[in-house]
Amino acid sequence: MLLIIQRSCRCVPTIRRLHVSALEVAERPGPEETVTASFAAFIHGLQPEQLTQKVLQRSKRMALDSIGVGIVGSTTYVFQLVLQHCQSHSMDFDDTWHPATHPSGAVLPALLAISDMLPRNSKPSGMDLLIAFNVGIEIQGRLLRFSNEAQNIPKSRFHPPTVVGPMGSAAACARLLSLDRIQCSHALAIAASLAGAPMANAATQSKPLHIGNASRQGLEAAFLASRGLQASSLMLDSVPGVSGFSAFYEDYAPQPLPSPEEVEPSFLLEEQDMGFKRFPAHLGMHWVADAAASIHKQLVGSHNGNFNPAFIQDILLRIPPSKYINRPFPESEHEARHSFQFNACTALLDGEVTVQSFHPVSLRRPELHTLLSRVRVEHPNDNSANFDLMYAEVLVTLVNGDVLKGRCNTFYGHWRNPLTDNSLQRKFRSNAGAVLSSDKVEGLIEIVDRLEQLEDCSPLLAQLQ
Amino acid sequence: MLRKSVTQSFGAAISSWTTDHLTDTVVRRSKRMILDTLGVGLLGTSTPVFQTALQYSRKYEAKEKSSIWGRPGLSLPAQYSAFVNGIAVHAMDFDDTWHPATHPSGAVLPALLALAETLPDKPSGLQLLLAFNIGIEVQGRLMRFSNEAQHIPKRFHPPSVVGVMGSTAATSKLLGLSSAQCVEALGIAASYAGAPMANAATQTKPLHIGNATRRGLEASLLALFGLEGNKHILDIDSGFRVFYKDYTPTEIPSGTCGGSFRWVLEDQDVAFKRFPAHLGMHWVAEAAAAVREKLLGEDPNFDFGQVRKVTLRVPKSKYIDCPFPKTEHEARHSFQFNGCSALLDGHVSTDSFTNAQIERKSLKDLLLTTQIENPEDNPSNFDKMYCEVQVQTADGRIQTARCDTFYGHWRNPLKQVDLVRKFNANATTVLSLEVAEDIVSIIDDLENIPDCTVLSSCLQTTDQSARGASVCGA
Repeated sequence: MLLIIQRSCRCVPTIRRLHVSALEVAERPGPEETVTASFAAFIHGLQPEQLTQKVLQRSKRMALDSIGVGIVGSTTYVFQLVLQHCQSHSMDFDDTWHPATHPSGAVLPALLAISDMLPRNSKPSGMDLLIAFNVGIEIQGRLLRFSNEAQNIPKSRFHPPTVVGPMGSAAACARLLSLDRIQCSHALAIAASLAGAPMANAATQSKPLHIGNASRQGLEAAFLASRGLQASSLMLDSVPGVSGFSAFYEDYAPQPLPSPEEVEPSFLLEEQDMGFKRFPAHLGMHWVADAAASIHKQLVGSHNGNFNPAFIQDILLRIPPSKYINRPFPESEHEARHSFQFNACTALLDGEVTVQSFHPVSLRRPELHTLLSRVRVEHPNDNSANFDLMYAEVLVTLVNGDVLKGRCNTFYGHWRNPLTDNSLQRKFRSNAGAVLSSDKVEGLIEIVDRLEQLEDCSPLLAQLQ
Repeated sequence: MLRKSVTQSFGAAISSWTTDHLTDTVVRRSKRMILDTLGVGLLGTSTPVFQTALQYSRKYEAKEKSSIWGRPGLSLPAQYSAFVNGIAVHAMDFDDTWHPATHPSGAVLPALLALAETLPDKPSGLQLLLAFNIGIEVQGRLMRFSNEAQHIPKRFHPPSVVGVMGSTAATSKLLGLSSAQCVEALGIAASYAGAPMANAATQTKPLHIGNATRRGLEASLLALFGLEGNKHILDIDSGFRVFYKDYTPTEIPSGTCGGSFRWVLEDQDVAFKRFPAHLGMHWVAEAAAAVREKLLGEDPNFDFGQVRKVTLRVPKSKYIDCPFPKTEHEARHSFQFNGCSALLDGHVSTDSFTNAQIERKSLKDLLLTTQIENPEDNPSNFDKMYCEVQVQTADGRIQTARCDTFYGHWRNPLKQVDLVRKFNANATTVLSLEVAEDIVSIIDDLENIPDCTVLSSCLQTTDQSARGASVCGA
């Protein structure tokens, strides 16, 4: 507070003796009025009572899912190569939001790491965790709404979790560490210098590092800010001639966040739920898998369970245009998780796509390859690369000329058709059970379910080890 | 279909360049860069940003550790050593600058020295020189892939874009990665690139170099352990290209043996700064100092309170146009501040950026009379820009001076004696003169030094720990 007062006092004598050339200084917005400062005020000023029931419930589901995918992710090769932070995204199994990003994986690991670090008698409560978590999610959502570019499945520039992820993590960590408003602002700005990785590494083994790095970089930014490191106070604002966060977008129009002390905050998570995946692949794959699965059902039904892939002559996929998920012959599990064609053919063959669908043996099946070679792709004009608007249509032509059609507008797990709590828990058991004992698995489900009542999050941390 | 070959040509070149490719010019120039970088780094260890980063980094432990410059007995995991030492190098904006614009050495040297200390077989001075030059070369090549890079930056801070790529190239070489692994390292490193300009002129700017050098090392290590990235990172639209509006990559010619290969550093030297501020400030300081001479020549008792108007004709660049800097970081990025300081004092030096100097009334009065003009013929380009300073006095006299090429610019390089003087002045703020002179000798003969980590030992031999005979000569 004192710092701000001092700053405005310095301005006053300058304003009085203004020379024309110095007018620009007076017109620079005061620290309170900038978008950047409004974000800092939100991070700092939000109160637990301001979290609504819906937001609490949704964010606990996100926490449960993230822990589960993280645990199963710890069994992957890429996890073994790098630090624990990368677990969440190593199989592309984590949650997805609209506009597109993977919000929880960027935030939760850092918060758990901080919680681990803090001394035994000052662990955060479950509510502290939930607030910090939601701050991290909200900040990401707000930033994504500052541009139109962010609305569409990312085309060729930056992978969204690397742009907004570090910011969300920095915000969440700043909150958990109880930084003051100025420090929160600096944490965001320091994190911005760490943001932004090109899309080219999506669909490679490096993609999981994007989430891992987002989480740890945000953590680092918050720690550095807590020790007094200073950065730009206009990072989120639009300053002509000097790019801040705007560097990552072609169109960028930031809006200040209303102060939680003046206006009851409305959370984006309240209006826009999270999508949870049913199998570990890019979100777009879920549409095409559901559409193809319905055709599999028809095929199996009409042939008394004897379905031979040789019956299929042609497969047409009508999907949105997006280069990095359009791969006719994926050569690795990472590419397979980013291939409309692979996921459609797998669902046609097996009736579903699962964790096992991406194992090397499954990837190499000759009958799968046969189907892949029969796939054609179309991009109808009305099918936009946007997770809120897209659909997938699969048309299978059999050797006898019959055409079977499947269409999916909203897959089960999408925010418009959310996974039931049962389904979510089943996914969690399957994931976490691959590594933890069933006692711990059930313990985690139970603890997360009443997270806001936990006075001390140590029981949560204990179950994760 | 895809032009796949640029990335692979880089991987091949990094892994196959040998010490035979180093020319005398390149060795000489790069040794000057190494010397200057160590000096500014040592000076930088006295800054608050360094202290903060060091305090933070000390949370981390590892079995293998590397030295922190200027801190006897203190070592950290290699990537954190690279991080804080890199921050020290750029902490005062005193490190070298190249064309197209970036700060090449700070992004490469700290990681190399940190890595060298952890290797079981210590690299020789010559091996260090080779790896260093590979790191510089890769940066130079990448910047030539776009026209946007030619101009003073607006979107991404160049060291954060090309610096990490240079660091990974250099450290890949020192690690002896295969061509395929070098390709992966480049791919992994690209995901760390790119920080927005807004943090330039703030305390966070030095972290751009610190992180570049550290993350490049990290990328190389990850590649060594088998991590893969996109093998066409320099080629495809969604790769390295995203940092530029225009981008046309070209291969490094294969078969880099033979006379056909030319190092970028051979044709394009770096600039060394004479005071710790953005490069653009050096033009304006020289021109302002010249105007001061003229004014005093006319009237030895001239009182600068009599100045009615100061006009600076400079290239257009928002982040170095700061009429009333409030912090040392802003002051280092202010045409106005540096012009007025040089008018008042005849020069700009390390001391010009202390709080006392920033707060001087005489300086503030002069700043109030200062105006910027951006002539059309003055491009935002370190190879082509100029600065003109015009002062109008109360009694109507006008004096003007122009600087096209400041002393220290690549067209008018610092003489060796002046470079060494700068190094000594910097290094002795932390080390004894004896040790400083040892470092000068070692670097002077670097290509014959059997173990380059002797430099790291010297960098930790401060006044307190040196006893009589020089320690690091051993």
